Amino acid sequence: MRCRRRVALGNLMLALSSCERMVTGINRAWLGEGPPPGPVAPPDGREIDPDFHLLSRASFGPWPGDLERLKSMGAAAWIEQQLHPESIADHACDLRAERFESVHFSAGNAYEFRKPVLRAELTRHTLLRAMYSRRQLLEVMVEFWTDHLNIDLEKGDCIYLKPSDDREVIRRHALGNFRELIRASATSPAMLVYLDGQANRVRAGSNDKPNENYARELMELHTMGVHGGYSQRDVYEAARCLSGWSFDRNRFWALNQGKSFFRADWHDDGAKTVLGHDIPAGGGAQDLDRLVDIVCSHPSTARFIAGKLCRRLVSAKPAEELVQRVAAEFSRTQGDIKAMLRLIFASREFAASPAALLKRPFKFMVSAMRALLADTQANSALLEPLQRMGQGLFQHPTPDGYPDEELPWMGTLLWRWNFAMALAANAQSGVRVDVLGLRRELGFAPAQWFAQLVGRRPAAQEAAVFEGGDEIRAVGLILASPAFQRC
Amino acid sequence: MQRRAFISQLALATASTMAGDSLGDDHTLVHVFLRGGADTLNLLVPVQDDRYHRLRPSLAIAPSEVIGLGGHYGLHPRMKPLEAAFKQGRFGAVQSVGVDNSSGSHFECQDQMEHGDSAQGRPAGGGWLGRFLRLHPAAGAGGALSALAIGTALPESLRGAPAVSVLERLSDISIKGNAGDSVVAALQRLYGSEVTLLGGRGRETLDLFKRVSGLQQAAKAPEHGALYPQDSFANGLREVARLIKARLGLRVACVDLGGWDTHFFQGSSTGSQAQRIGLLAESLAAFECDLSDHRQRYTVMITTEFGRRVYENASLGTDHGRGFAFMALGDRVKGGQVLGQWPIQTEEDINLNTPGPGGLHACTDYRSVFAEVLRGCFGAGVNLAAIFPGADLKSVGLL
Repeated sequence: MRCRRRVALGNLMLALSSCERMVTGINRAWLGEGPPPGPVAPPDGREIDPDFHLLSRASFGPWPGDLERLKSMGAAAWIEQQLHPESIADHACDLRAERFESVHFSAGNAYEFRKPVLRAELTRHTLLRAMYSRRQLLEVMVEFWTDHLNIDLEKGDCIYLKPSDDREVIRRHALGNFRELIRASATSPAMLVYLDGQANRVRAGSNDKPNENYARELMELHTMGVHGGYSQRDVYEAARCLSGWSFDRNRFWALNQGKSFFRADWHDDGAKTVLGHDIPAGGGAQDLDRLVDIVCSHPSTARFIAGKLCRRLVSAKPAEELVQRVAAEFSRTQGDIKAMLRLIFASREFAASPAALLKRPFKFMVSAMRALLADTQANSALLEPLQRMGQGLFQHPTPDGYPDEELPWMGTLLWRWNFAMALAANAQSGVRVDVLGLRRELGFAPAQWFAQLVGRRPAAQEAAVFEGGDEIRAVGLILASPAFQRC
Repeated sequence: MQRRAFISQLALATASTMAGDSLGDDHTLVHVFLRGGADTLNLLVPVQDDRYHRLRPSLAIAPSEVIGLGGHYGLHPRMKPLEAAFKQGRFGAVQSVGVDNSSGSHFECQDQMEHGDSAQGRPAGGGWLGRFLRLHPAAGAGGALSALAIGTALPESLRGAPAVSVLERLSDISIKGNAGDSVVAALQRLYGSEVTLLGGRGRETLDLFKRVSGLQQAAKAPEHGALYPQDSFANGLREVARLIKARLGLRVACVDLGGWDTHFFQGSSTGSQAQRIGLLAESLAAFECDLSDHRQRYTVMITTEFGRRVYENASLGTDHGRGFAFMALGDRVKGGQVLGQWPIQTEEDINLNTPGPGGLHACTDYRSVFAEVLRGCFGAGVNLAAIFPGADLKSVGLL
């Protein structure tokens, strides 16, 4: 039955893919993806417009018309709306991104697909969501947690398991509660495979040593941070708590092979002590919940997560005072992600941070395409430059995720420049733009391109570089300029 | 055609004059980092130690499969391509090297090692290779090509270097739509006025573009029938070899090989780790062969953030340990020997020196070994006290 459904869906997909241009047509004509009605007014201040700044951080950069929409709503109302993505209709994006069959499948059923299909569909889905979703803050946080709870598709069977992890761990909890996010991740089949939890078994009466890999990263990377105050003994004890949780899609007797499971006979059921908390013997599967509670409510976790959020959303070296306030909010709300974001975006430290961050390659590409109202189905030709810039999606090999620091991204500027020049000239394969047509529809002067793309007037030195020459080349150079690499 | 030949001759001539006033002579340090904490116990096998075989009932390499080196140690069978270099005295190792960091964290230990720091002292700032390049301007005479990282990200070890290039292939270096160099000129103005890190890196990238444009015309086939495996690590070494042959002033090249975090089904003489070992050995052997005419001009060092525990875990892998075997390859290496102690620890109790029960101590401070490599490559003029401030550097005897 499943097979027949796949064939039927497959046919539908085939029909759809031949209609990609039709999707664009529908989206632009009826679903509000086209240029906004009426002329837009690019900011003309010397400093970056504060609303433009908010869009640069709480979204993947402004889509033409976003700035005007935000200004008419007011920043606070806009943030509140973004914090409730379920309240935002997203039909145009759905039409582009929902058609990939594998992203809807359970971990067990995803084995029906070939690896290249899974890799392509998950990656395309992610890029299209970041590009076209109106639930932009959700997508920003999806990217954040995807890095935080990194899973490399190329390890073991992760490629089959990440689509459901993306859906049920990352997307479900991206704006929810931190403790629930970690709890979901701890038993996610993808994480059990990626960090060897599935192999963490201590059989009764044996001399088995627990596999510490996940227990260590749970403390070091997911919750407390490396100097969070845990000892090697705590790692060992945590691994004992987690032993017995596993994933095995070949359990022929199981009703749902796509789920993780707990095997009492692989669990070390003795008494444990983690971070000074005693966990009595006989806890069985509940040990995992106790452990997640202990690490998530540890003060180091509040600090670690607050610091990481501030580094992603405010500046590379956020003010200690801001981090403390966000950490206090984490503790007060027991890990409410929305509450922390509200505080960050309303803070004076945030308001004082325009252009303080470097766009990582994914954001650089997506923000350039959004600004030019690009039409893409995110096929492999478009993903190739991202690979060269060093941020192939779901490919970071180690569990720390792609870094926020500037340095690691500084070696691949050449590919950014090439992408910028090609995109503006409509010569980048896999994506279509029309710089001149767009500018006419938006109704501003060619000299205002810089302000439209960067959120401020160009300085005299900058303006001199773009002056006079060809408009398309100027747009390419603006996208390649230092100003557009920041956000 | 004539113009091309002229340009490459010119590039050659400039590079060699620039190299003339540098440290000692024209030498390249190739820094290979095995990411993930390599289990070197299965690379340089302590074949005569019963404890090794007892604690690794499934993972130990059987004595019959080990390539004997006439002593305590033997080589993993997949190290075969490097056996000759070892026996000719060009490939050697130091056992039980490590960082003084007991966190057992990949990221902490890699960072500490790449920064050349100690867990006790204050960070010296930047990466150890970055400090070397900055403190010795003569070594940076090659501009954007004095330091190179193969891949897409700048490694921490090169943090703070005055100029670094990151690339996967030399042939990638091109700028689109650059008719009459106009895009390059515009980018130069945009990035030229930036005083930030971004501005500096932008200018280096433009410099790199100009320098490599000449080299791209030159022949690129490996020499002497060198056969590089089909892999990004091997490709990286091939590109490094091209730059060494072209004498463009390359001083430091960083190439990473990942996949060493073998918690799970590590395998022994075959299996997942054996495949990595094979790739490492075959790639290095091809590099050696390709550079047969340039043997005096490079040294390869092979390091990792920590070794792994002696005993195997229940999922037939090994967990994070401390000490590892550092390896080096080249004419200046006093090879054919495994230096250092053999401080195997078999007690089941938790020891302060290892992140868990049963490991290999870190007896030799990794900085002593790195320092010796720098001196070996670039002469006695290297300011080791400034590169590894506060370190009690001891002679190891590898270079």
